[in-house]
Amino acid sequence: MSVPARLDRYIETDKQRNFPRDFLAGWEDYETWEQARVGDAGPGQRTFTITEEDILSYNLACGETDPLMVDPSYAREHSPTGELLQHPIFVTTIGFYTVGEKGIGTWMRTPGARNPGQRIEIIEPFRYGEIITTTVTTVDKFIQRGKPYLQMLLDFRNQAGVIKARWWCSLILPASRSDVARFANA
Amino acid sequence: MLEKIGQSTSTAPCFSEVDSSYVFEPLVQNYLQETIDRYALASLDMNPVHTNLEWAARAQVFGIPQTVGHGMMTMSSLASVVTRQWGVLSAGGGHLRFVEAKFTKPVKVGESVTATAKVKSKHHHGPGKNWVRISVEARDSSGDVVALADVGYGLPD
Repeated sequence: MSVPARLDRYIETDKQRNFPRDFLAGWEDYETWEQARVGDAGPGQRTFTITEEDILSYNLACGETDPLMVDPSYAREHSPTGELLQHPIFVTTIGFYTVGEKGIGTWMRTPGARNPGQRIEIIEPFRYGEIITTTVTTVDKFIQRGKPYLQMLLDFRNQAGVIKARWWCSLILPASRSDVARFANA
Repeated sequence: MLEKIGQSTSTAPCFSEVDSSYVFEPLVQNYLQETIDRYALASLDMNPVHTNLEWAARAQVFGIPQTVGHGMMTMSSLASVVTRQWGVLSAGGGHLRFVEAKFTKPVKVGESVTATAKVKSKHHHGPGKNWVRISVEARDSSGDVVALADVGYGLPD
């Protein structure tokens, strides 16, 4: 078990409680740089139903203090949506939750991965109760200065098919399964 | 961790009121292990390089025997330096459109990072569509740049 017990005291949401938090368990099923093919696309493993507690937890973790972001009763009265406003980088949570642990894009859980840069576009705010489906498309795979880069585009749509946000997610990865194993077994 | 809850004060200016001399208030983020742990749970990015001190010391992913903050946590600061002043959604229709970040140095636990931002360019796309590109930079306590970003923000007319 690679998740220290001290983290349990910070659990605030059902998703945090039930999400497979140990990234060193099941790494053999993660997609690798070697396996990934540009143009491959598919749905994430699970959907994400937007709740107030998900947004509140993310906003607080970012250190936000604006009552429109951290005080649900104030937001109900004053926010343009009548709901807590979400931090723009909240899509990170949706991405990790929906991509899951097996299949396309699961290289985002890879032990030993490094983050070179990201792009996130917000099209419209997520709303409570929306059921978000993620479509994952592998868009680039390259080697730069000897390092293997992989990039995927995550499209986040609600149950009506409306696109809410897009995330171009890039990582520098251990290239092969045996390269991943060296980190997973460290 | 919550320092204060008061009335929301963030408001975006009108497009015509902003020029390339516009500078945002700096934002300081301390990378305490508790802060990183909370971010790991909130974002569901539970990679052990952020939370598992023993594994991080053995694996040395970044060549250092310590945990590091999430790049996405730094990215959140790069966005927050703008949104704490202008809002995520502002009265009159202001809204953050995109964040594009590049990470240049890992932020190890215990570090303090300061993000600064200024308007870089104004994009005249017509009423209701005008936006500005904001250049954001984050430096650690040694003064090294740890991240650079462009933030796009749509402003009311």
